[in-house]
Amino acid sequence: MTRFLILFMALLVSLFTLEMLVTVQDHVITPFTSLLARISAEIILPFDSSVIAYGKVLQFKDTGFAVSIESGCNGVEATIVLVAGVLAYPANWKAKALAISIGFLAVQALNLVRIISLFYLGDWNMEIFTWIHLYLWPSLIMLDVLIVFTVYLRYLSRLDQSAETGNA
Amino acid sequence: MPEQPHMRQFLLYVFVLMVPCFIAWTTVGGSLATPAIGLVNQCLINWFPTVVDALYLDGSNALLMTRFGESNGEAVPLAGAEYQLGFRVNPMIVTVSVPFYTVLHFATQRATYLGSYLYGLIILYLLMIFGLLCLCLKELMVNLGGTFFEQPDVFVPNANVIGILYQFNVLIVPTLAPAIIWIWQGRNTPLLRSSLSAIANNATQDNKSGSPLKRKHSSD
Repeated sequence: MTRFLILFMALLVSLFTLEMLVTVQDHVITPFTSLLARISAEIILPFDSSVIAYGKVLQFKDTGFAVSIESGCNGVEATIVLVAGVLAYPANWKAKALAISIGFLAVQALNLVRIISLFYLGDWNMEIFTWIHLYLWPSLIMLDVLIVFTVYLRYLSRLDQSAETGNA
Repeated sequence: MPEQPHMRQFLLYVFVLMVPCFIAWTTVGGSLATPAIGLVNQCLINWFPTVVDALYLDGSNALLMTRFGESNGEAVPLAGAEYQLGFRVNPMIVTVSVPFYTVLHFATQRATYLGSYLYGLIILYLLMIFGLLCLCLKELMVNLGGTFFEQPDVFVPNANVIGILYQFNVLIVPTLAPAIIWIWQGRNTPLLRSSLSAIANNATQDNKSGSPLKRKHSSD
């Protein structure tokens, strides 16, 4: 457990520092965040044609209200936590790759819900937007990471049990 | 009891407890951080005696007052300025770990609740103090620039270090710290016991002969 925690913290700090590098921000994080804004707009457009996306910004054409998706709102930090946890845990690379892929999709799916909900909340009431944006949604995203990681551990545990049953 | 009902029960309690816990925390506001603000105030005025005047609670925010005033957008000595230069710091960014931890802790079925909860709060409080210090350093760095970095005979951390520590303490620590404490304290609860014993077993087995999954393939 101690070894797992030390490895987890080392990976977490390394990946987070890597994410903060200007080169990584320019070539990976910003394009990815812009992609999130476009995907959010694509999801909203069939129901609400008054939305446009440019760069990292999502905007209502009629009211002019806009949100810019910044660090902490793109789900990258939550993904980093998940990746560090999965990599720190002893398992084969296939299982790790599967957990990271599915976990990434789970985090980003919830993150799209966060972006879209905050976009509409902000247009309605800025105080509620700020409260939910700064405090509630980050906790929900971390809860999502916790659930994905717990499910992954159980999956590995079952694999281990079935292997032992097979051997017996 | 099988694990799945424990997980469902946990998730149900999380969503039931989340709203009241977060509303109660919002009602308390920044005052939850008052002792941390006092400690960080002492730390800052001793660390940067020529720059920081005081850090104190003002409503739900903390105010970081400097020993400078402002004139034409420039920081100038207080004697030549009409107003004292101060920056608003939001302590709730770091105290948000408390309601999240409260939700996770009380949503998990366990033998005793209060003792381990208080123990967890102490750890969170130490992290809050460090987080608040990083928030203040970032404000001083961004708003005072060279005046902050060029203090004679005072060690000032590198700008990149302050930047990364600030981001880490704002984006990661407030939600990750409660999760890690919850996992650690909940390792013997019905919800987490088998999953975490798998970590312990795997770590032990991994030390001996590789991961259990590798052993499975090799045994095949």
